[in-house]
Amino acid sequence: MGKQKEKKAIWGTTLGEFVQQQFVKRPINMVSLVCMALLALMAVIAPVLANNKPLMIRIEGKLHFPLFQNLSPADYCIFLAATVGFLLLLLIRRNHSNLEPSVRGAVLFRQLCLSCTIILIGSPLIFIFVPRRLEAADYKAMIAENKADYAVFAPIPYGYDRTDLMSRNLSPCRTHWLGTDDVGADVLCRLIHGSRTSLSVGLVAAGISTLIGIALGSIFGYFGGKVDFIGMRIVEMVMAIPTFFLIITFVAFFPRSLLSIIVIIGITTWTGTARLVRAEFLKLRKQDFIQAAVSLALPLRSTIFKHMLPNCIGPILVNAAFGFAGAIFAEAALSFLGFGVAPPTPSWGQMLSSGVTTTGRFLWWLTLFPGLAIFLTVMLCNLIGEGLRDAFDPRLKNAI
Amino acid sequence: MSENNSLLSVRNLSVSFFAEEGVVRAAHKVSFSIKTSQTFGLVGESGCGKSSVALSIMRLIPANQGQIVGGEIAFDGQNLLELSEKQMRRIRGNKIAIVFQEPTASLNPVYTVGDQIAEAIMLHKNKDKTQAWKAAVEMLRKVGIKEPQQRISQYPHQMSGGMQQRAIIAIATSCEPALLIADEPTTALDMIVQTQILNLLDELQKQTGMSILLITHDLGIAAERADEVAVMYASRIVEKADPRLLFSKPLHPYTEGLLKALPRLGQSTKRLETIPGTVAEPMYLPSGCKFHPRCRTGCHDKHCQTFEPELKEVEPARWVACWHAPGYQ
Repeated sequence: MGKQKEKKAIWGTTLGEFVQQQFVKRPINMVSLVCMALLALMAVIAPVLANNKPLMIRIEGKLHFPLFQNLSPADYCIFLAATVGFLLLLLIRRNHSNLEPSVRGAVLFRQLCLSCTIILIGSPLIFIFVPRRLEAADYKAMIAENKADYAVFAPIPYGYDRTDLMSRNLSPCRTHWLGTDDVGADVLCRLIHGSRTSLSVGLVAAGISTLIGIALGSIFGYFGGKVDFIGMRIVEMVMAIPTFFLIITFVAFFPRSLLSIIVIIGITTWTGTARLVRAEFLKLRKQDFIQAAVSLALPLRSTIFKHMLPNCIGPILVNAAFGFAGAIFAEAALSFLGFGVAPPTPSWGQMLSSGVTTTGRFLWWLTLFPGLAIFLTVMLCNLIGEGLRDAFDPRLKNAI
Repeated sequence: MSENNSLLSVRNLSVSFFAEEGVVRAAHKVSFSIKTSQTFGLVGESGCGKSSVALSIMRLIPANQGQIVGGEIAFDGQNLLELSEKQMRRIRGNKIAIVFQEPTASLNPVYTVGDQIAEAIMLHKNKDKTQAWKAAVEMLRKVGIKEPQQRISQYPHQMSGGMQQRAIIAIATSCEPALLIADEPTTALDMIVQTQILNLLDELQKQTGMSILLITHDLGIAAERADEVAVMYASRIVEKADPRLLFSKPLHPYTEGLLKALPRLGQSTKRLETIPGTVAEPMYLPSGCKFHPRCRTGCHDKHCQTFEPELKEVEPARWVACWHAPGYQ
């Protein structure tokens, strides 16, 4: 341990470690991070948490695992990606204690490449080898007829696309903890599956908009002059259009699939990031170390990506966290208005809108729980974003 | 003075910056030449155009702000102003390197010192990463950093200003440039470190035979280190000579005024002389000799007020731009 400390003293504190120390200092940050992690975990294992197929069943002395046999290849891909992502996080932690700062970048890059390769090769393999099965066997009926010896069900033993006309619009009870909706689907089950929609929209849409923002912002900021002038006028034109109406207009032209909604939200919300990155680049461009990089004739690629971009990673990350919340919110709003993903794919916004029935009855459990879910998720993102902002710039925290 | 053995010769270099209010001439018909293994001192107060000259040699004047409007910069037989950007990239870092004033701002805060030295070596010497790191350690040792093995994997903020400047010099000299431009390399450092850094530059010059363009506002540094000194005022070189001659017998009233304003060791504490007036506004320069409003003789002389003197050789290797200098006509 002593040796470890010695090494650390020589290595010094990297920006990442500094931010981590600052971030951990405030308990609220850690609480929101843990909640967010739990939410992500819930989204990943949603089909195991809520499924109408039993986890395990014994019929005539033979064990069956219907739930796993019925998972779609996409589910397995998500499991794979989540596992690889988690392992990568562990690896990064290990890198920080074992490797010198100067080689970390290269090692991390190699590990990232490896993980991407695993996911990229693994996913097609999963799609090839995991058959798309739609088992019609009604295990619940089997159990009722005493055909099965014993069965273990998921904690919420309903599918998100369940329709049961016998149990429509039930208020919360013992069998349906958060009640059922107008076609008899369990609200809790749909909430759990809806987190997948929300989080994937948040993640991918924020990712797309951040990438576009970085690409355009860095070009405008680095080259300046005419490029910057024309570029920023275009950005201002895009900004002048209210984002939400822009999204609705786009949605009208494209099919109501999750993917198109993600892409549409992504390509309409990059203006903020672009302006931010441009401003940072304009500031950095005047710094001596960038002048020095140019005077050493470092390639443009290295100057921009190696010397400038990492120096504005803070504002970009913070902005991405807020973008994440914004994208979730936009998707919920779209679905609430009926422009979002088509049922039976669950979405929190869509569930919210079903709270008021055609007969005018107000079903509180259909609005309260999805509403809370949206509220909590968005708030968590904003808390994390603010925590990051304070961590990157500790002066800000003391100023207020 | 023959121009044949000179490594860099700048002739009639003019640089303009375009501000919203008008054109600012940062350099006007600046001419000088640096011989191989020689140190050339460029002295002048802030804003007189020293750094613009340095940036012009590297062709780093930001294109949307300023432009080299005239003259030529001959380096190693080729005119740098005629080279394409691609050819220029081969010169930058490889043949001409620059050290900036502020050591804390000249290193990228997110990379270790070793990363930054190794990157330059990898690029210009075609070495792989391990070789480049070995060379980087060697460079750090050369510039006098103790325990280079450990220092190399440290971040800039873990080093003192002097050490940072040493590391920057290591980056700049790692590719053995023929010319090192040192743009106020010691201004941000205290006196002792200043001497150390200047000694280091001298030593490196002896080892590699590079030429140094030493830009400074400190007359003492220029007198001590340079083989030839040029004094700049209002974007023009007003006097150019061997430092011993320049400081013992200044010909231009501006140089004279500067020297009189210097405190000297061992002299009684009588009030230091000042140059009357303030530095000319770069955008609204006076007519004629740019120094005439502040000059004791020039301010009454019609000739000084209307006609601008050009830099002329009045004695062998003594150049001055003043109508009243002995031998100037």
